[in-house]
Amino acid sequence: MNCEVCQLKELEVGHLEFEIREVLRCILHTILFHRALGLVRPKDVDLELFEITYVQCGDLEIEKKIDEKIEQFISWVEKHPNKKSQICLSFYEVKNKQAFLFTHKIERLYWEQWYINLNVSQLPRTHSGKSHRSKVVVDPGAMIIESSMEESSARRAALEASLRDVLFQIIKFVNEKKDHVPPIPNREGVVSYPYEITIPSSSDSAFGMDVFKRMLQTGHPTMLS
Amino acid sequence: MDLQSNSQPELGKLEQIISQFLLKSLHIILDSRIPSLRPHDRSGDLSSANRVRKSDKWFNLVLGDRPAALENLNFWHRNVMDPMIIDIILVHEGSNSSSVDNLYTASTAGTSIETVIERWVVQYESPRNVAPQAGEMAASYKRTYKKSIVLLRSLYTQMRLLPVYRAFRQLSSSSQAYNFDIIYKVSSFGDPFTRAEEELMEEYSFPPVEAFPGRLSVSVTYRSTLSDFNIEPSTTMPPKIITDYVGSPATDPLRSFPTSEKGVRAISFPLRGARPPSTPLERPHSWTSGFHRAAPFMQNQHLVRSPPAYRPSPTFSDFPSSPSDMYGNRVQNYRLLSNQRATTCDEYQLSPPFSPSSSPSPPTYFYGGNPNQMQTRKSSETAPVTIPATMTGRSSRYLSPNFSDPNRNSLPPLSPRSIRNDPSSQESPSGIRSFRRIDSSRAGEVTAGITNCHAGQKAIKDSREDSGRFSGPLSSSGSPRIGFSRSSSRLSFQDDLDDFGFSCPFDVDDVDPPDFQPRYLNFSKSTVMN
Repeated sequence: MNCEVCQLKELEVGHLEFEIREVLRCILHTILFHRALGLVRPKDVDLELFEITYVQCGDLEIEKKIDEKIEQFISWVEKHPNKKSQICLSFYEVKNKQAFLFTHKIERLYWEQWYINLNVSQLPRTHSGKSHRSKVVVDPGAMIIESSMEESSARRAALEASLRDVLFQIIKFVNEKKDHVPPIPNREGVVSYPYEITIPSSSDSAFGMDVFKRMLQTGHPTMLS
Repeated sequence: MDLQSNSQPELGKLEQIISQFLLKSLHIILDSRIPSLRPHDRSGDLSSANRVRKSDKWFNLVLGDRPAALENLNFWHRNVMDPMIIDIILVHEGSNSSSVDNLYTASTAGTSIETVIERWVVQYESPRNVAPQAGEMAASYKRTYKKSIVLLRSLYTQMRLLPVYRAFRQLSSSSQAYNFDIIYKVSSFGDPFTRAEEELMEEYSFPPVEAFPGRLSVSVTYRSTLSDFNIEPSTTMPPKIITDYVGSPATDPLRSFPTSEKGVRAISFPLRGARPPSTPLERPHSWTSGFHRAAPFMQNQHLVRSPPAYRPSPTFSDFPSSPSDMYGNRVQNYRLLSNQRATTCDEYQLSPPFSPSSSPSPPTYFYGGNPNQMQTRKSSETAPVTIPATMTGRSSRYLSPNFSDPNRNSLPPLSPRSIRNDPSSQESPSGIRSFRRIDSSRAGEVTAGITNCHAGQKAIKDSREDSGRFSGPLSSSGSPRIGFSRSSSRLSFQDDLDDFGFSCPFDVDDVDPPDFQPRYLNFSKSTVMN
């Protein structure tokens, strides 16, 4: 079966925990909202940073899983600042294959992968004067790390526009490509398909290997941009 | 032609899916655009509403209470082949309306302007000359259902990303009164935009969902920005209650407070006086909300082919008895192929909550393209649902019906039957359920019931005032309509449910009345019921 891949437009995010969290939540929830085909009570969430409202499934499991991954990603970003990174949301089917007589190999067949491309950049410091690479906890109301109000608002505006583009991109993708969506294995609950969120691992090369391995498993990967 | 023998369960199911899709998309759109339709206490998430209504189960999207307007859709949009065009209209001030002395004079010539800021078109596009193959039909409605779930999710998401959403949120917030309002109009046609308007608008079409033999499509034309409109919080100050004035009870315990006006009544701009419609034939096939008299783009409708819409003083008594006459000579029937059973596809495990088709009864609404016929059918139109979208502050958003006003359209008295509440019905507090099973002889009572039931729930404005035109369905564009058979099998889809993961809300022994009655698009004289 085809594995459809969607490379989402790259987003320039500042090295701001709050910003990263908002952006990732928005994107991941939007994708999942379109893939969790069980009975859903949609929950509108307003982003605090932007005038964007996105929709969550209203499922606590999903929320928890997403938040955990985002925190892991933020930790990773702390250790690898100023880098382009990808977060991959994949949907797969579980196949039981009998490898040998008595063993079963559980194989994941990925049928859809979403790549969220972020370019996390350290923002120029101003007021504080000192540069520190420790974890920055940002009060959403204060933009203390931004170099100037104009730059920051321009940057934010650009990010908002890009985020909107990404959301439209998601909508377009889910509606254009529907034939590859497999039968629903999980009849109960909101989540219809097993999924996983992959963040870059400790080293870059390992992350690449993960992606490569996944591609091997899918069978007929189709790289679409 | 006797449809019963040609009925195909799959076509009936597809028809239900299409019909419910239209309803659901209308629900989504109105919920995200028309503040007055939302319940007061609705919060962003619906987790507090544990009850899942039947309507929620469709497409696995819980939206909560359907606005009463959706019940109208059942009335007029009887042909699933017709496009459903939803205009979202911004009611805003004209250039010379901001003076204070205009505020409270409701009867002066209004300077409010109505502009269509979004037009949604939801339709089932069907090729005309395709005969459905039974095999194709079998599995296709399940595919259609699954894909339409995704489409509706996208629609829901998209509603929040378009420019109008912000204006909607502003209006919905209870803290401010604004100088604009958003109303809507649903019809099966739309006035084309002027070139000037088109230049300001963008289009977006969702990729259609295959719904063999046709497809479901949703598209929108929308204003890319609302900055052209002078939208801002209302400048009028609400009456403030000063509690500590000299001599007040606060300062003088022996006095008592005078009764004071509560709440905000900030009418930002005058209402237009309502003008009675000239002739019923000029009514477009649509209904709408809002105080205002028909917007200019509505009034010039030359609706030769449309049946009359709302009649100012409906007399529900003279009901035509036989709806079939309307259909017999108009509709082309689908040649349904052999009724072999659908092979179950365990691949598609989403189960539409089909309603079992109950004993057939004719719709209360008739199609007709023939104006002559429609003359006699005028009274068959339902009274419009009046859903006011007020321009006032939040507290006066819902007005109480003023039945004593002679100028208003006086509604026929409630018939006890029409407001019978089905005990098993959970959906709507009104007696709307009752009309679903009615036959033509009781349709009049039902329509009255509908309107008055709305009065019970929310404010009902007289339709004339709020230009709630109601019209009979459709349009005869002269194109042959491909009809669907009525699904006559009560049980056939039940077997399919074993393959599905979701239980059907309409079980066989469910005492609830069906949420949906299949549309009887094809009628021959032999199928007149009751």
